[in-house]
Amino acid sequence: MMDIQDLDELWRTRRHFFQDCKVGLGRIALASLLGGSAGAKPVQRPMAPKKPHFPGKAKSIIYLFMAGGPSQLDLFDYKPKLKEFDGQTPPESFMKGKRFAFMERIASARMSASRYTFKRYGQAGMWASELMPEIGSSADDIAMILSMRTENFNHAPAKVFAHTGTIVPGRPSLGSWITYGIGSESEQLPGFVALQSGPRPPRNGPLIWGSGFLPSAFQGVPFLSGSEPVFNLKSQPGVTPERQDRSLQMLRELNEWRFAATGDDEIATRIASYETAFRMQTAAPELMDVSSESKETLALYGAEPGKNSFANNCLLARRLVERGVRCVQVYHTDWDHHSNLKQGIEKVTREVDRPSAALVKDLKRLGLLDQTIVVWGGEFGRTPLSDGVPGAQIGRNHHIDAYATWLAGGGVVGGQTVGQTDDIGFHAVENPVPVHDLHATLLHLLGLEHTKLTYRFQGRNFRLTDVAGKVVTALIGK
Amino acid sequence: MIQLLRYCWPLFALSSVYSQSRTVDFLGEVKPILEKNCVGCHNTKLRMSGLSLASREHAVSGGRRGAALGSALTEGQLLKAVRHDSNLKMPPGRKLADAEIGVLERWVGAGAPWPENAVESVGARPNHWSFLAPQRPATPRVKRQGWAQGPVDAFLLARLEKEKLQPSPAAAPATLVRRLYLDLLGLPPTPSQTAKFLADARPRAWEHLVDELLASPHFGERWGRRWLDYARYADSDGGSRDEPRLIWRYRDWVIQALNRDMPFDRFVVDQLAGDLVESPTADQLIATGFHRNSPLQIEAGTDREQYRTEMVFDRVDTTGTVFLGLSTGCAKCHDHKFDPISQREYYQMFAIFNSTDDYSEQRPRFNLRVMNLHDVHGPYLNFAPPDAVALREDLTRRLLALDDETEVLRSVKTAESKQQIAKIEADMAALRKKVPVIDGTMITREITPPRESYLLKGADYLSRGEAVSPGTPSVLHPYGSPKPPNRLDFAQWLVAPANPLLARVTVNRIWQEYFGRGIVETENDFGTQGSPPTHPELLDWLATEFIQTGWSQKAIHRAIVTSAAYRQSSDIPSELAERDPLNLLLARQSRLRLDAEVIRDVALAASGKLSPKLGGPSVFPPQPGSVKRTWQPSPGEDRYRRGLYTFFWRVTPNPHLVVFDSPSAMTTCTRRQRSNTPLQALTLMNEGTFHELAQALADRIVTEASPTMEKQLQHGFRLVLGRDPSSAESVRFRSFLAAERDALLSKPEEAEALAPQLIRNGRSAVAVAVWVAVARVLLNTDEFMTRE
Repeated sequence: MMDIQDLDELWRTRRHFFQDCKVGLGRIALASLLGGSAGAKPVQRPMAPKKPHFPGKAKSIIYLFMAGGPSQLDLFDYKPKLKEFDGQTPPESFMKGKRFAFMERIASARMSASRYTFKRYGQAGMWASELMPEIGSSADDIAMILSMRTENFNHAPAKVFAHTGTIVPGRPSLGSWITYGIGSESEQLPGFVALQSGPRPPRNGPLIWGSGFLPSAFQGVPFLSGSEPVFNLKSQPGVTPERQDRSLQMLRELNEWRFAATGDDEIATRIASYETAFRMQTAAPELMDVSSESKETLALYGAEPGKNSFANNCLLARRLVERGVRCVQVYHTDWDHHSNLKQGIEKVTREVDRPSAALVKDLKRLGLLDQTIVVWGGEFGRTPLSDGVPGAQIGRNHHIDAYATWLAGGGVVGGQTVGQTDDIGFHAVENPVPVHDLHATLLHLLGLEHTKLTYRFQGRNFRLTDVAGKVVTALIGK
Repeated sequence: MIQLLRYCWPLFALSSVYSQSRTVDFLGEVKPILEKNCVGCHNTKLRMSGLSLASREHAVSGGRRGAALGSALTEGQLLKAVRHDSNLKMPPGRKLADAEIGVLERWVGAGAPWPENAVESVGARPNHWSFLAPQRPATPRVKRQGWAQGPVDAFLLARLEKEKLQPSPAAAPATLVRRLYLDLLGLPPTPSQTAKFLADARPRAWEHLVDELLASPHFGERWGRRWLDYARYADSDGGSRDEPRLIWRYRDWVIQALNRDMPFDRFVVDQLAGDLVESPTADQLIATGFHRNSPLQIEAGTDREQYRTEMVFDRVDTTGTVFLGLSTGCAKCHDHKFDPISQREYYQMFAIFNSTDDYSEQRPRFNLRVMNLHDVHGPYLNFAPPDAVALREDLTRRLLALDDETEVLRSVKTAESKQQIAKIEADMAALRKKVPVIDGTMITREITPPRESYLLKGADYLSRGEAVSPGTPSVLHPYGSPKPPNRLDFAQWLVAPANPLLARVTVNRIWQEYFGRGIVETENDFGTQGSPPTHPELLDWLATEFIQTGWSQKAIHRAIVTSAAYRQSSDIPSELAERDPLNLLLARQSRLRLDAEVIRDVALAASGKLSPKLGGPSVFPPQPGSVKRTWQPSPGEDRYRRGLYTFFWRVTPNPHLVVFDSPSAMTTCTRRQRSNTPLQALTLMNEGTFHELAQALADRIVTEASPTMEKQLQHGFRLVLGRDPSSAESVRFRSFLAAERDALLSKPEEAEALAPQLIRNGRSAVAVAVWVAVARVLLNTDEFMTRE
């Protein structure tokens, strides 16, 4: 504790100091307000909320990214007709001029119907297979897109494309564009967070939540599981919270003096950054500790405190948007079922179905669904053709001409299916939705006009949707 | 600020000639004005607003806003537009000089004579300022005497005087020393180096210090790192596998070339085409690593031609950005009305870079069981005995053959085949052990015959359009040979003194590092969409100086850092903050946050841990254990090497580098961001390395400074900030130290943790721990991470 004498002395030195400062007390007053009293916004915090282009319906977005490419034909795109062709050689008209991954195995590919039974859900009768009963039960909140299209049939580039609108690695991701456009409400947590579960991290990881040429402040911060989700969150041994607090107070005064002497606003921003960091040291472990959630909530997700699972991450995603975080990417890897589809997809849907639906239900229960977009989908889908190394159980190859992605909340018109595929689920024949259109729509829901959200780099205005993209009106309603 | 930006290119020094002239000379007077200011947009091809000024006929028929030229009675829109009479104000964003308007008025008044034979020659070639060769400007006269140290200052001061602004006083000497050390070496001065300068009474003490630092081997590290940003240098491939690659010798070559002040024209030619010169030296081959730094994607199932094409795009774009300051990206897909380079010309440059030996369909595939990365990364310049190289190639061939055999067997799936596979795999394991690890560096090599090149529609490697042959952009100086250029011809064309861009772009980037902003702010876009120079004559003086000194980069550095402008205080008085918030006129210096690597270097130097070792393989200093790509920390001094030697995984770089905006190395980066985020604060407060350095600094303070608190605090300030504490700071630190001491005395375990045995050297834990607390504060101040 500082005694009265110390304080007095401190005041004298500060007064003395201000006599020869160049900038004047107005600026000091400004600095003192930073991050301090209620209502005062820290100046120039890069993540400070910014006005959207127009009032958006959604405030935040949670993207449940199914890395590897889920088989839409076994989950949501019901194709009874495919049964008639099961086991046959695919008609040449479908295969002509097409390029696939692992072309060498294409000759042995056969038409392959789903082994799972499908059922209609909700008032609009959305189809979902027996692997996805929970998601099916949220059908009235879901807009199911069966006609997604992407441009590259390999995981890494397709993932980069799904996140950045181009296959060339190193461009800003969706979440970076969003936080660049409208900042984030949270002053104690990063505005854009990536959570990961599954047997391995998603391919190209940091590239798909990277900020590319946007300032690094807008890159996604991957949260690790456990109580220290961010690098360097824990203080070093001997640095107690009290010591950290005293050091930061000391530091703040030194910085304020320097600010007074130089008049450089960057110092004011620096002061605000340190205050946020200090708050983050408390806020992030608190965020990660889900044990404070009710038993019912934990059961709804199937989450267990202390575990790294998709269920826990869905719950964390809710906790993040609750705290004002703008954008959460939740990755679950394990959807790449080239062979032994049965074993693979049954395992992964057990991990994913309940928590995905729980997130929608939980947000709705808390009144947050209207302002939170939930997206569910992968980098591509899978072929109606079999694939796999000879001798193994069959699976499906990568497919880019038609796959499924669903949206809920954030102003999305639920209870509908957008787009249809042909009888065997090979091509989107109605309302195709290219990735750029999905991006344009998501930005629109957040109040951002995709053609205006640009950043000048190397002499050119770049945007997430490149030179394409149109808002899918069916998804956003009026 | 707008009026500041609206500068006019100072051409008409001889304007009196025009006003006196009676007759109008279309070719000599009018046409240059139209070419320079109008036909870039108003030509037959672009017809902005429907208007072309390529001929009298076009001008009379006019555009959407009516005829540009009418009869003598109705004089048309042209004069109205250039006079800014109505809301149609041309050219956009600026106004012609009065003398130029006078010429047009007389010309229109005379009935706008337009000789027949002039029609063809008013073409679509934009006459943008940066496409005209720089002319050596005369040094302007200034009123204020005694301030300007040379031409650099004269140009700046003349402009300030025009705006009725005064330059700032020089910064405090201690600030200046730290500034110069950080700018030239990327290292802080030691207290004795600062003291030495402060005591230097020679009249040209500053110039002596400048020369001393320019001769330091650390100069090449500081400025080499910047060049490595341009070269998108990294130690791994990028892409999903992100395999490590061997190319650090290129990094060392850059450092050495800058230290030797290799003439910049040679520096450029060796990097772009060192392999094509006659009997290239090893150094010239190593230099060609420049374009081997493209990221590379290797993944099963991918089409290698797609990624090879991406690499060529990357090389064309990097070349355009780094050497010409032009964005070429748009032209990849289409002609653009504002772009100086057409789509066809883009692919002519593509053709120049399209025939290098890269990972392509012709190479053996990369195989995890064989780990034949050298097939992917080659060609190399090997630094191993030829027999070792031959052995590796032989073994790789055998391994690939064996692997093919197992592939065949795998499709059979019998007990017998499984047995055979097991046997072959055992053989392979044994063989793999014999593959020698070979030291080498990635270099560029041309293949023969060259690949055919095509215009690629929409930049899609599968959508081939017309065939194109190598060529240079027509907007720039002519290439001038009937032989299609190869890479060497192209590089030599690039460094020709007639190139209007190379020298300007290069000096502008050097300038940008010293003042935080280029004379042309859009340092990678000198085209029509870029921002105009704030000080065009200064830019041209520097550019011509660069060429006249034999392309000496050090000469340009010296000219800048010996100027009075460079030595100004970076404080921002309220008046300047209001009148020139962006500091375009440079009536002061700027405070600039240090680079990611330099922040580490300053902490290392302050704590006394810095290893001064130059060059060599990249190293692995400790990093947070939770980083996805973990590594075993390097032992010994490699733990404390400068930041630029830290191994750079493109996909998972060292987190402290990323949070302080080190470039991603995915594309060329010609200007770093300077962000200011909470993650930076967490790094400096809590990362193990910075904590270790704070402890080392505390040890150093206590060991080296005599035992009064004042002396110790002063030493800490001098080590970290290069200055003495103010009396206010001393007083405040005294109370901080007292509070820490009290707290630590009551909690000895905290003292033990803060000051581990290693740094105590027989002193009490509390005696050292209080200084650890002080050191942590100093190493987190804004001033520590800023060049003032």
